[in-house]
Amino acid sequence: MTNRRDFLKLSAVAVAATTGMPGFLARAAAQAGAGGKTLVVIQLTGGNDGLNTLIPYSNPAYYAARPTIAIPKKDVLTLGGDLGLHPSFKPLMGLWDAGHFAWMENVGYPNPNRSHFASMAIWHTADPAQAQAEGWIGRIAEKIGDPFCASNIGASTPLALRASEFSLPSIDGVDNFQLKLPEGLSTAFQDVLGTPRSGEADYLVRATRQMMSNTARVQANVKKYKAGATYPETKFAGQLRDTARLIAAGVGQRVLYVSLGGFDTHAGQRAEQDELLADLAGGLSAFQTDLERQGLADQVIVMGFSEFGRRVAENDSAGTDHGKGSVMFALGKGVKGGVHGDSPDLEDLAEGDIKYRQDFRGVYAEALTKWLSLDARAILGGDFRGPAWVA
Amino acid sequence: MSLKPHTQKLSAEDAAHFLRRTAFGATDAQIRALSGRGAADVARQALNFDQRLAADSPFDPSTGATPGAMLQLTRAGWLYELMYGPHPLREKLALTWSNHFVVGTDKVRNHSALSGYLALLRRQAATESFGRFTLEVAQSPAMLRYLDNDQNRKGKPNENFSRELLELFTTGIGHYTEDDVREGARALSGWTFTGGRGNKNFLEKQTFVFNPKQHDTGRKTYLGQTGTFSGEDVIRLASTHPQTAVFISRKLHRAFVADTPDENAVQGSAETFRRSGGNVRAVLEELLSSEVFYASRARIIRSPVEYVVGTVRTLGGPRLEPKQVLALSATAGRMGQELLKPDTVKGWDGGREWINDSTLLLRLQVAAAFTLGKNAPRDTPAPSDLALVGRERSPLAGALSSLNPRQRTYLTLISPEFQLA
Repeated sequence: MTNRRDFLKLSAVAVAATTGMPGFLARAAAQAGAGGKTLVVIQLTGGNDGLNTLIPYSNPAYYAARPTIAIPKKDVLTLGGDLGLHPSFKPLMGLWDAGHFAWMENVGYPNPNRSHFASMAIWHTADPAQAQAEGWIGRIAEKIGDPFCASNIGASTPLALRASEFSLPSIDGVDNFQLKLPEGLSTAFQDVLGTPRSGEADYLVRATRQMMSNTARVQANVKKYKAGATYPETKFAGQLRDTARLIAAGVGQRVLYVSLGGFDTHAGQRAEQDELLADLAGGLSAFQTDLERQGLADQVIVMGFSEFGRRVAENDSAGTDHGKGSVMFALGKGVKGGVHGDSPDLEDLAEGDIKYRQDFRGVYAEALTKWLSLDARAILGGDFRGPAWVA
Repeated sequence: MSLKPHTQKLSAEDAAHFLRRTAFGATDAQIRALSGRGAADVARQALNFDQRLAADSPFDPSTGATPGAMLQLTRAGWLYELMYGPHPLREKLALTWSNHFVVGTDKVRNHSALSGYLALLRRQAATESFGRFTLEVAQSPAMLRYLDNDQNRKGKPNENFSRELLELFTTGIGHYTEDDVREGARALSGWTFTGGRGNKNFLEKQTFVFNPKQHDTGRKTYLGQTGTFSGEDVIRLASTHPQTAVFISRKLHRAFVADTPDENAVQGSAETFRRSGGNVRAVLEELLSSEVFYASRARIIRSPVEYVVGTVRTLGGPRLEPKQVLALSATAGRMGQELLKPDTVKGWDGGREWINDSTLLLRLQVAAAFTLGKNAPRDTPAPSDLALVGRERSPLAGALSSLNPRQRTYLTLISPEFQLA
């Protein structure tokens, strides 16, 4: 019995032998349409402190654990009786009031790992046993059968976008994403690529061919975009602008991935995290405005995560050490706003950390099923239920 | 010997392979000078480097007007040393160690800390004591700052360095507990540095100090042993742990043998590492003259810095303007390898991770700039096939036969054969 993965590999070999194109690419025509909806995933790298993001401002245990770095009550953007947001989120409060900004409380996974890298790998593969070599978005691409249905915006491709044969594209600046070979060299370059090879050399040939096809696809379409908002002058905001450009160009990407790093706040956390969250909120606010003006706001939602939160108690460097569960967020017109799930119990901790109550795979499953209309079970390897955060 | 030695005299292609791996590449003449010699002799000689630097570097980071300028000059100065310096293997090892004992200029923005760190990596590049090397790194102001151990005080532990010491620098994950992390932090309390704090003092000297008042003198249990351990004790216990030999050997195999190393060969080097008490020089000498090394061709994807430096060294070291070196250093960053600034404390994963659409496009642009661009170095003759692809007859000869030498070099530089070592 041939399973699905074997079939993909066989077809790749067969197509490669006749056209020189990897099968993964040649099957692009088979991509599923599914309404042109896009999911934008935001990775906060380094372990964002969830408790100083979605703040239990009415809980004395929060202030007791963090005498130096707690967000003072008067600065909290209140969301209700008990919870509020870090003041850096001010630019997104309009979206909250409109019911399009959601927070998932207390998200994590079984047997949490405090290593950045092990934990990030778990979020990327959607596999707490870390047995999967592919990323969850790589598996989406295999399911859809189009290597261009998901891209990272930035210089290096995260594990989440790794598939069995290829990493999905990384686009580090839409303007630069084009191939200009000097005149008269195209035929010779094709001949160089056509020389028979194996191993890593073969991988490089296939990667080069895929790049040539991807760049052609973007450049043929990208001029359709005219900016609908002024973005802040940060790298992160620039990447969100490129994300909006690709969506407006209609090149067919279903998932786009953007990272914001620097959340490993062991010392002097307030200044660092305040600035990072301001970058996050400023960029997302401009992105949302841009999508509105382009008439694309109904087609796009954003989902954000970090590999873990920080410990409940601050350390003596006015920072926090690695902790466990944390918050996730989502925004967009297709999102059901509000706080989904219960807040952590700050008086019942596991080794100084909150005990998670919602499995992140349930949050992914909601996006896969309700937004991307995909079979979440096939991608996540099990049935996971989570909060109903997609409207 | 734990690895089988390569016993034949080196062929020209063997010599080209050795220099691709240990010197980023070389000219035809440099390759031919090694052919006919014995593998052990060649490895020993390459490892026998001193601490001299390129005599004529135009970059002096201490003249940087701002912290940002100082960092740019530090990076460009290192790239210059990589491209033109007298000891490419020492620099290759320093690059490898900078990707092991990672510090990053997002936090370390002091000139003396960075120059001290780089000098340390060069001095210990082929260390005879991994334990000594680890101790010196742990006490370097750059590392104290980067992983916050300068903030680690008695009764107020900061666990950041203690965790990464085990997870990333010595045993690797799976060989220690969360208790080891906590107890290690207690033992390392009181290690800090003086000087150079604050954005304005980026040129001021930083010096390691032990502050006994901030040191926790109590009993600790660490990696299965109990005692009133000091920071030195913890470094010794971690760096001599049996798993550290495997972890470090695997890193060396990834740097010199294959992106995906053979685990039996790694265990062979680990045995040498343990038997010699962490003598990295002995491990390297054996590795770089072994059968497994000479049998492994085209199994490492060159990193952005290796790609740039390899291009310059293969072309015979064309002289570039300081501005061009600064630009190349920034370009390597856009290709995913900004010197002294990996994305995370784990460093760059390497291998296929270097390759994606955007980084491939930049490799094409760099190759064009060196061969076809209007500022391309003009005084360099076309390199031989042996220098470019490590073969006396290039497998690409047929595809390139109708082109002029510059065009041939350009297309070879962007071929898989050149991008692999």
